[in-house]
Amino acid sequence: MNPEENRDAQHSKDTSPTNAKTKQGISALSKSESTQETLSESLRVESPGAGEAAKELKVDPEEVKAAALTDVGGSKGVNVGKLQLKLDEVPSLDREQEPAKSTPSIAAEPAPILKANNFSREQPLPLVEVAPQVLRHWTRRDVLLFGVGAVAVLAGGGFLLPQDTLSRLGVRRNTDSPGKEWFLNRALRIDDDVAEALYSVNRRVPTYTKSKITPLRNNYNGVTPDPGYISGWRLTLGGLASGLSISLDIRNLLTRFPVYEQITRLVCVEGWSAIAWWAGLKFDDLLHAYPPMSQARWALVESSVNLDASGNPDPYFMSIDLATARHPQTLLATHFNGQPLTVDHGAPLRLLVPVKLGLKNVKAVTRITYVAEEPRDYWAERGYSYYDGL
Amino acid sequence: MGHSTLTYNEPTTTSTFPDKPDVLVAKKHQLLVRWSHWLNVPILLGLILSGISIYWASPIYQHKPDPITGNTDVAADIGTWICAHVPGLHHYSSPPDWIYNHMSLGPYMLASALRLHWLCAYLFMLNGLLYLAGLALGGGWRALLPRRTDLSDIPRMLWYYIGLPFAKLANRKWLHPGFNTKYNALQRAAYFSIPVAGLLSVATGWAIHKPMQLYWLAALFGGYNAARVWHFWLMWVFIFFALTHVVLVLADGWDTLRSMIVGWSTKVKGSEGLENEP
Repeated sequence: MNPEENRDAQHSKDTSPTNAKTKQGISALSKSESTQETLSESLRVESPGAGEAAKELKVDPEEVKAAALTDVGGSKGVNVGKLQLKLDEVPSLDREQEPAKSTPSIAAEPAPILKANNFSREQPLPLVEVAPQVLRHWTRRDVLLFGVGAVAVLAGGGFLLPQDTLSRLGVRRNTDSPGKEWFLNRALRIDDDVAEALYSVNRRVPTYTKSKITPLRNNYNGVTPDPGYISGWRLTLGGLASGLSISLDIRNLLTRFPVYEQITRLVCVEGWSAIAWWAGLKFDDLLHAYPPMSQARWALVESSVNLDASGNPDPYFMSIDLATARHPQTLLATHFNGQPLTVDHGAPLRLLVPVKLGLKNVKAVTRITYVAEEPRDYWAERGYSYYDGL
Repeated sequence: MGHSTLTYNEPTTTSTFPDKPDVLVAKKHQLLVRWSHWLNVPILLGLILSGISIYWASPIYQHKPDPITGNTDVAADIGTWICAHVPGLHHYSSPPDWIYNHMSLGPYMLASALRLHWLCAYLFMLNGLLYLAGLALGGGWRALLPRRTDLSDIPRMLWYYIGLPFAKLANRKWLHPGFNTKYNALQRAAYFSIPVAGLLSVATGWAIHKPMQLYWLAALFGGYNAARVWHFWLMWVFIFFALTHVVLVLADGWDTLRSMIVGWSTKVKGSEGLENEP
């Protein structure tokens, strides 16, 4: 080895460890190349015993290289002795080199053929020679960086936890802030955008046979309303192209529009789902009969009969984009299991939008308003997503 | 390696071989692999905590309502059992919530849990890409590929691990099966399975997140409900792996733990296939 080069490497080690690493890597490699030659030389000439062992072991040049590398700096004699010792110790090595069994004794020659068709074969780990103080420097730097990163992630992750969770963990400080809300909602919005990109108007959701029907529970958020509202129920349409406000009763709707049946899965945000048999008119047909104003992109679907958990009025309102409203499987359902809707399931008319979570499937719809901008949304105001696409 | 007998300052003008007191280190883990490895810790923690809060809203393991409490949730039963039998927990205020209070963000947290779950899920997918990039760039994927010899080597390794504590107790020698690869057969199986489990978690996650647009994906796992069961148990695969992983790494020592931080290891494998301590 050239001492000049050696000094260079040491010099750069002091100033820039990264640089030293590459340089040393290269020098280590060239070292190994030359040592490999001398090694196989000595294997053949100086030590017939080692040659015998090599024959038996079918030494992989890669491995000779690795062995040579570990012995850089020793003398030739020591190298051979060491290798011989290693060969004696582990004869089971040839498990991996089965096909090379008949290869003649020369250790360093049959390299390229083996490597060429073994792209996926595991290679020995690359070795680097480093001065101990550089190694210490690397360790100190990396462990320190790791510690800083860990603390930062811990703090950042903890900050993002819900306030209730933090309070339970004994954190007194209120971490809720507009920034935190913004960040978390940003993630929700990204998911909404992905969902929108996945959505295809022409894609139908799977439909099922009647034998697949499963029980559907009443998941009214609050108290189920008293059926008294049904007799006076009317559907009011607003935001129409005509500029008028239209009011329809259930008989109007059922006589004007064809009724479609479908058996689809209703999926709740809570995770449960049910396959249910519905019938009703298509939202799309209603949109054709009473076209929305031209700039409308959204429908605000409301139910004024909704109650909260203590039985007080708690109007329910949901945003539906018009593309979803026009989906051929989006119904204004009037029947469930072949019977008119019961109050549990939103009599006399509920929105059935199988491409959205159950919470968008507004029960007992009393008003639909077409608007240009994304309207308010009951559950979005309570921390859920706006889009809720399935 | 311990051949650094000459001192550092001695001039080396005549010698053919350098007498630097250098140490050999093996480059073990690519930078991106290390990054993604550690990022998995907070991400998986976030996914599990929020995931169990989501699970609370509609547990897949339910039974008929309890006549007294109306409880249907098996996890709530476990919480009740824990509070009844573990000393010091007898006065826990809401035993059915014990699991949810200790393994999740808490009950009644569906909205925040979903929000956090989506955030972590996207980070998990990005992190997975980071990991794959690291495997590709560093060539580390080769060390993870299963090989035919694993079939016989895995039982050997299992036998070693099972016998090790007893051998230690009996103060007897218990030889580690030899191997000349980066990982032993059992490690390889585990480190290969975990990315696969990650992939399956992502796939089942999408299947239950978008069961209408991606209904074919849900069908691949046996339908929407079955995909939820898959997703749930894949979480336990991660939990079980992580616990075992941590115990074994700590047992293996500082060099192994450090190598995931700094990338290199001073355990340099020679052709003999056994590890040499420096």
